[in-house]
Amino acid sequence: MPMNKKIWGLAILVFSILIVSPFLGIVHIDLPTIFQNNSSSFIFWQLRVPRALLGFIAGAILALSGLVCQNLFKNNLATPDLLGISSGAAAGAVVALKFNLYISFLGMGGLYFFSFLGALSAVVFIFFIAKVIKNSSLYTFLMSGVAINFFYSALIVFFQYTFNYTDTFSLLRWLMGGVSVSGYKEIYFLLALLLIFLGVILFFKKEFLLVSAGEEFAQSRGLDVVHFRIFAFLALSFFVGTVVSICGPIGFVALVVPHVARSWGGSKYTRTVYFTLLLGGGLLVLADILARTLIPPVEIPVGIVTSLFGAPFFLMLLIAQLKKTD
Amino acid sequence: MPEAMIKASNLGFAIGKKIILQGLDFSIQKNDFVFIFGQNGAGKSTLLKILAGIIPARCGEVLVEGKNVAHLSKRELAGKLSFLPQSDDFCLPILVKDVLLSGRYPYQSLFKDFSSRDYEIYKEGVECFALKDLVQRNIQTLSGGERKKVLLATAFIQDVPIILLDEPMNFLDPASSFQMIRMLEGLHRRGKTILLVSHLIEYFFPYANKILALKSGKQHYFGAKVFSPELFKEIYNVSFKHIFLENKEIIYANE
Repeated sequence: MPMNKKIWGLAILVFSILIVSPFLGIVHIDLPTIFQNNSSSFIFWQLRVPRALLGFIAGAILALSGLVCQNLFKNNLATPDLLGISSGAAAGAVVALKFNLYISFLGMGGLYFFSFLGALSAVVFIFFIAKVIKNSSLYTFLMSGVAINFFYSALIVFFQYTFNYTDTFSLLRWLMGGVSVSGYKEIYFLLALLLIFLGVILFFKKEFLLVSAGEEFAQSRGLDVVHFRIFAFLALSFFVGTVVSICGPIGFVALVVPHVARSWGGSKYTRTVYFTLLLGGGLLVLADILARTLIPPVEIPVGIVTSLFGAPFFLMLLIAQLKKTD
Repeated sequence: MPEAMIKASNLGFAIGKKIILQGLDFSIQKNDFVFIFGQNGAGKSTLLKILAGIIPARCGEVLVEGKNVAHLSKRELAGKLSFLPQSDDFCLPILVKDVLLSGRYPYQSLFKDFSSRDYEIYKEGVECFALKDLVQRNIQTLSGGERKKVLLATAFIQDVPIILLDEPMNFLDPASSFQMIRMLEGLHRRGKTILLVSHLIEYFFPYANKILALKSGKQHYFGAKVFSPELFKEIYNVSFKHIFLENKEIIYANE
């Protein structure tokens, strides 16, 4: 089938990007050196390879969270970053850092639990707004997203202001979004999450399709929309929160990728899911390569790269959609 | 008298202090074709949504096949009735096949995929409604008529005794409208109970055997179909005429 060939083609392309990525960067690394015991091989195996993997996994989770979010809100502009869910997650992490809150869970340090709570608070707020003004149009969601983004940004800046100088800098760097890690602890953890997330998305195919068709349509086919939404938003907040707590808020991957994947997937759900996963992962790795090589020896935070390219794309989408609803 | 398919008693609904529906009492028998009409804002759509369990009644109760709607799970209810909402705007791309198969959702459980029985009735639906060329398309790219057809086919595939439709022929051209009516007729002949809300009196009135007239949220008339221009005048404040045309009884607005 040509469509499956497309998926395999993309998979091979993304895999090659993943292979090439660790060789590129400020320190040049040659193929033979990586099997020797020197600083190059350390950089390669302990920094660059985990970094490429983290880029792929984080990009995939973010893109999938965008897809899920769009289905839940029945709109392709509804993504975790535009709705303020990502900044909620970031604020949650900042608050936890400020007050030294720490909960260890599933063998990982506790920041992501607070990111999850932050993301969840944004979701609750969106539904509260939609309920109060009894309107769940795109306009409502985007506007409440703007409000949430402002609020959490202010919160973040406030806590940042009260941090000491070095903490402020590392916080700032984290807020710009990045995929630099050392070692594999986060990788294993996030990889497990990615597989679980993918499993959830494929397992609940029928339900996600029904909610994306509209509330009344879903209900009259027998889906308990309220319960499913609660479950899906808990999951969404958890996965977005975890990625944000590790990589910071990386914008626009969740918006751009599902949009392209949908047009490639030919409105077929499962294919769209795989396209989203591969494209999201590949794109973030690519963006990270750009971030490392664009103006050496400076390393641009990858979140800045994705936003630089993503913002115009978002604008185009918005214009197209507003024209359509006119 | 056999058990009613749908029985509403003292049904009422309000948004805040604004009363939308009040004191509705009716009972609908198997294989009835009920035409529900009334002015804009008379509460027709709200009534259908309450009957379909989409929104809960403020007072009174609805029994579907003898069971209180409020006590049935969404899935149990979807195994008894199928509701086609007025708006059919799909905001995200979905394959027509997936829309049609969603009619089988009430019969699934968490770890059970579609069975051969599900696919059988799906194929039957595709055949009956002549959708073979559409199933691999994105529903957003379909014309209004095709979309309504797909939705009605979904109700067919859902294979339930009761079908509720809210303005199923909005924005349809005459050819598609008659096609739609043929399909509804077909479903009715198969023994389905049909409740239909519409302003298209000329189209649907001939097929109904019962009518429910709503006026400002109150039940103005419920019972056997009557070709009564007076009743229509009371509802719409416009004169109606009752004529015979090619052996068909027709009632139409005539200011």
